[in-house]
Amino acid sequence: MIEIKGVSKAFPGRKGSEPVQALKDVDLIVRDNEFLTVLGPSGCGKTTLLRVIAGLVPHDTGTVLVDGKPVTGPGPERAMVFQSFALMPWDNVLTNVAFGLEMQGVDKKTRELKALELIEMVGLGGFEKRLPGELSGGMQQRVGLARALAVSPKVLLMDEPFGALDEQTRRLLQEELLRIWEATRTTVVFITHSMEEAVLLGDRVVLMRPRPGRIDQILDIPMTRPRSTHLDSVESSGEFTAMVGLLWNNLRAMHSDVRRARQAGQAAATKP
Amino acid sequence: MSLVRRVLDSSALYRLIALAIFATIWQLATLSHKSMLIPTFTDTMAAIPKLLIPGYSGDESAKLWDALYQSNGALLIGFAISVALGVPFGLLIGRFRTIERFANLYISILLVTPMAAVIPLLVMSLGVRDGAMPTRVILIVLFAIVMLIVNSRAGIRQIDPSLIEMARCFGAGELSIWRRILLPGSLPAIMTGVRLGLGRAITGMVIIELLFIAVGLGNLIQKYDAQLDGARLYALIIIVVFEALVLIQAVRWLERRVTPWRKTTSFGR
Repeated sequence: MIEIKGVSKAFPGRKGSEPVQALKDVDLIVRDNEFLTVLGPSGCGKTTLLRVIAGLVPHDTGTVLVDGKPVTGPGPERAMVFQSFALMPWDNVLTNVAFGLEMQGVDKKTRELKALELIEMVGLGGFEKRLPGELSGGMQQRVGLARALAVSPKVLLMDEPFGALDEQTRRLLQEELLRIWEATRTTVVFITHSMEEAVLLGDRVVLMRPRPGRIDQILDIPMTRPRSTHLDSVESSGEFTAMVGLLWNNLRAMHSDVRRARQAGQAAATKP
Repeated sequence: MSLVRRVLDSSALYRLIALAIFATIWQLATLSHKSMLIPTFTDTMAAIPKLLIPGYSGDESAKLWDALYQSNGALLIGFAISVALGVPFGLLIGRFRTIERFANLYISILLVTPMAAVIPLLVMSLGVRDGAMPTRVILIVLFAIVMLIVNSRAGIRQIDPSLIEMARCFGAGELSIWRRILLPGSLPAIMTGVRLGLGRAITGMVIIELLFIAVGLGNLIQKYDAQLDGARLYALIIIVVFEALVLIQAVRWLERRVTPWRKTTSFGR
């Protein structure tokens, strides 16, 4: 379980401008074995929230507990999947997937055995000797996913992992991720800017709003599991459409709020 | 592929044709305008084996090999020092901005100063006695090292920051980040620096010997020049250029060997 209480984070602004409040008083509980998706317009702090959980950036105030222990830095119980894949181009698929275990000091034979198992699981069997540059984007992100799963994390942190992929590849990977998740039930925090993706994958959707970044509301997704076997009928269901519609109404309201605030700010700035 | 096709496709053929055209023009031009300073192509070619092969033409080749030995000795030591100091220094300032703040101005000076202007100063203070090996080595380092520093720094800078973040995320400490991310990631740029630095070192070597400390190849060039021996002068310069080409090609080969992943940028091979 991840408990986030009163977490705020500000980044220093560029020269002369005010600091940017990326997160303000965020409270959130991520339950064990849940698939939590986080959705919001750009600048709402969703990626910062994930990086705070990962221990990559320190938070200013509040507490972040993973299984009761405060987060002070990265830890082996949390693994991350990156939007840019972040694969080492000089290492083959096998070495890339085994990287987390290598850093934990697991011996070569054991970690390669484990890596092979995960490579098989994400559907890349036979590609273990290839270099990342020889793979398509979708295959590269499968490597990223396998690398994260290889360390058997309690929490899988995914930062818009399919954001850089084309539509068809993304669909295939969503299906694949659901299939793997339904088999493993690892706790997942999944950042996305796609409403459809948030609803399709998640048990709950956290909707965030910008300036300052904070949680707007948390919605339960009613669709039953498993979904990977019949994604098409999930997507054409009334529940799905209603959820996406609800999220869109909220997001559209946020966008017009932001626009109004910007116009007001401009008006104030131009006043003598 | 048929043999004809392979020959037509190889760039060696086109290089050979270009060389033949160049040699013909050279030969015709020098034959029609007799000049003492510009030898014909055939005379120049005939001089090359005289210089290279021992015993072919008196003790001439002994002089050449002696000069090559002298010059390359300084080149080898100077270039090795440049790599040994320049690469680690460049990597460090690439990673740690604070160190760079101290060094930046001096790197810029090293980069923009015309070396020929500084050499007399250094020659004066470092001395020219007995072939002045240390002086030549130091000057070669000054010529070459900036390329190694600047390229190594660029190598660290252009590493995708998400790779470093990824490594930290999976529990890597600074040492592991260096070993697994920063060093392999900057290797292509380091090799570029080695190649450019080698070019500068060779240039430096010849300039120093030619203009300031008359030893080695530079000394020999001066001598043939003074004797108005065009054929030998041209032959010698061709030998120097050829040596430089061979060295640069060797670095290119090494570059491909140590960074094989650079070939594979997209699908397939």
